[in-house]
Amino acid sequence: MSAPAAAADVRSDVPPVLVEGVTVRFGAITALSEVSFTVEPGTIHAIIGPNGAGKSTMFNVLSGVYRAAEGQVRFGEHRLDRMRPYQIAGIGVARSFQNIALSAGQTVAENLMLGRHHLTRAGFVAAGLRLPRATREGRVHGERVAEIAEFLELGDKLHTPVGVLSYGDQKRVEVARALCTEPRLLLLDEPVAGMNAEETDRMAEAVVEIRSALGISVLLVEHDMGMVMSLADRVTVLDFGRRIADGTPAEVQRDPEVIRAYLGSGDEIDPAEAAEAAASGASSSSETPGMPS
Amino acid sequence: MSESTATAARGATRSTGRTAAGPRRSLLRPLLLAVVLLVALALPLYVEEFWLRTGFAVCGAVVGAIGLNLLVGTTGQLSLAHAFFLAVGAVTYVFVSGESGGLGLADLSGLAWPPVVGMIAGVLLAGLAGLLFSPIAARLRGIYLGVASLGLVFIGQHVLNSWTQVTGGFNGRSAPEFSLFGFTFGNTDPDLYVLEVPFREAERLWYLGLVLALGAYLFARNLLRSRPGRALQTLRDSEVAASVMGVNVQRYKARVFLVSSMYAGLAGVMYALSIGSIAPESFGLEVSILYLAMIVLGGLGSVGGAVLGALFVSALPLVFQRYADVVPLVGGSGEGGLAPGEAARFLFGLAIILVILFQPAGLAGLADRFRRRGRDPGGGRPTSASAAATSSSTTAVPSDPPAQGSTS
Repeated sequence: MSAPAAAADVRSDVPPVLVEGVTVRFGAITALSEVSFTVEPGTIHAIIGPNGAGKSTMFNVLSGVYRAAEGQVRFGEHRLDRMRPYQIAGIGVARSFQNIALSAGQTVAENLMLGRHHLTRAGFVAAGLRLPRATREGRVHGERVAEIAEFLELGDKLHTPVGVLSYGDQKRVEVARALCTEPRLLLLDEPVAGMNAEETDRMAEAVVEIRSALGISVLLVEHDMGMVMSLADRVTVLDFGRRIADGTPAEVQRDPEVIRAYLGSGDEIDPAEAAEAAASGASSSSETPGMPS
Repeated sequence: MSESTATAARGATRSTGRTAAGPRRSLLRPLLLAVVLLVALALPLYVEEFWLRTGFAVCGAVVGAIGLNLLVGTTGQLSLAHAFFLAVGAVTYVFVSGESGGLGLADLSGLAWPPVVGMIAGVLLAGLAGLLFSPIAARLRGIYLGVASLGLVFIGQHVLNSWTQVTGGFNGRSAPEFSLFGFTFGNTDPDLYVLEVPFREAERLWYLGLVLALGAYLFARNLLRSRPGRALQTLRDSEVAASVMGVNVQRYKARVFLVSSMYAGLAGVMYALSIGSIAPESFGLEVSILYLAMIVLGGLGSVGGAVLGALFVSALPLVFQRYADVVPLVGGSGEGGLAPGEAARFLFGLAIILVILFQPAGLAGLADRFRRRGRDPGGGRPTSASAAATSSSTTAVPSDPPAQGSTS
C-alpha cells in the first residue's frame, strides 16, 4: 500500500470501542436489545447476522444517526451515544454506506473531498471570494485525496461523475470517502454487497491493508461469510436484535446458536454436521485462502 | 468490466489530472466569457435605452435567481419566500436612503442615508430575515418547507400594504437614485459623454448591474466548487451521508438560507432601482413562482443555468411588450390578441414542460451537451469495443441529478 502513511502497528491514539447494553426501540419494536461487545484497537471486527438482525441499526447508533434508548457506546473519552453525527465524524469515526449514498452528479474527487470536510476550515466567505487560504487548503487536501483514490484504484476516475461509474467502483468510492476523513475507527456497511468474486477479493485485500498500514480499527457489517471468516479477528453475531455469539471466527462457526440462526432449527441436525455445512457453504461464496477449518 | 464501463463513459477519457483539486479546464469557457463581457461593456455605445433598462432588470433577476438556485437547486430546500426577501431588500433600501416627507396623504419617513448604505443595509437585513427563518427551514423538508415559506410572502404582503410610513402602503413609494461616492446613477450630475454618446441613467445603471451580477455569479461559482459547496450538494443528495461525513446539517441549512436571502435582498434593491419605485404587487407570490421558473428552466444547481433562466424569464415579457406589433398573436394594450405578459407566461409554461420532459438539467444542461459534442469529435461515443458497456453503465446520468433537488 503506497498511499496512507506506513504504521506497522496499532496507532497509539486508537481507543477500543465499548458497546454496553445498547437497546434501540422504534415504537413497539425493539431493534436492538442490550447488545454489548468490544472492538479492540487495530482489529477487524465483524458484525454478522441474518436479515433484520439489527446490524445496520447498530451502525446507525455508532455513527450517531439513531439514538440508543438504553446503554452506552464509548470511544476513548467520548460517548458516541450522546454525540451528533457530525461530531462523531470530527473525532475520527468514519462510515461507508451499504446503499451507496454518494452525490451521483459530482465527480469522484468532489465526493472524496467531502471526506475532508472536518479537516478543513474554508467557510462561505473564504470560499466565495477565493481567499488564498481557501485555495491552498483545497490544493493540499486535493493531493491527499488523489493518493487515497490511487490506493483504491480510482486514480484514473477522479474527474468522472460518480453516477456513470460501475457499481463496484461506486462501492469503492464509498470506502475511499470514509478513508478520506483520516479515521481512527472505520465502519464499513456491507462493502462487498453485490460485488462479483474478483471485486470482492480486491476489496478484502484493501480492507486488510487499510488496517495494517494505518493501524486503525475496522468494524465490518457483511453478508459474505467467506469474507468475514477470512478477514475478521473477531465476530459478533446478532439475531433478532440480540447478541447470540461473540468470539473468533472459528468459535463463532461452531456455536450452535449461530448455526440455528443461519440454518433454521437445529433439532434434527447434528451440530457438528451443521457446522461443517455452514463452513463449506460460507467458503463457497468466494475464495477464502486463510479459511479456518 | 468495471474498467471498460468507466472509460466508455463520456468525458472519462479526458480526465488526466492527478490531483483532486480540479479537473483541467478547457480554454473555450473563459474565451466565451471574455467575448460576452466585451460585448456587454460596449453595449451602451450602440443600443437604445430600452435594451439597457431591460438589461439592468435582467441583472437584478440574475442575482436573485442565483441566490434562489443556491437554496433550491444546490441544497434542495424548496422556498417560495424569495419574493419576501426581495421585498425586505427593496423596502430597506427605500427607507434607509429615501427622504422623509412625501406626497399628499402618505406621511413617509426615511433616513436619507447614502444609497450605498441603503443597499448594504437591504442586503444585510434580508440576510437577517433569512437567518431568522432558517430554524424553521432546518426542521422541514421538501413541499412542507415550501408551504411554510409561503407564509412569509403573505406576511410580507400585509406589512407592505399596512406599514405606510415605511413602505408607502398600497400606492408604493419611489426609490431614491443610486449614487456612489458622489457619482450619481441618474441622468445628470455629472453629465457624461463617452465617444459622444451621452451616458445617462440607463447606461450608468447597466454598468452597475453588470458589476453586481458578475460579482454574484463569481461568488456563487467559487462557493459551489469548494468545501461549503460540496457540503451543500451532499445535503441535497443525502442528509444522513452529509452529517456522517462531518457536515453540521443545521448550521449549513441556516448559512445557505442566509446567503440566498442576501442575494434576494440585493436583487430587491436592484429591482427598486430599475423600476424607480416599489409597490406591494411587485413582491407577491407570482414573483416567487417566476423565480422558481427561472431556476427550473435554467437548470437546478447550476449557476450559469440561473443566469440563462433569469435572462429568459425576465426579459421575455419586456421584449414582447416592446415588439407587440411584430410578434404574432401578441397585441399591445387595448388591442386584440394576447397581452404581452400573458403571452410570455404561456411561453414559460410551455418551456417548463419541455425542459422537464426532455432536458431535466435545464438550459445549462443543453449548453453542456453542445459543449461536449464540440469537444470530442466522436460525439462522445466509446472508441473501444465496449459499446455494450455504455448501456450497462449505471442508471444515473451526470446531467440528471440536479433535477432531483427540489423534491427530495
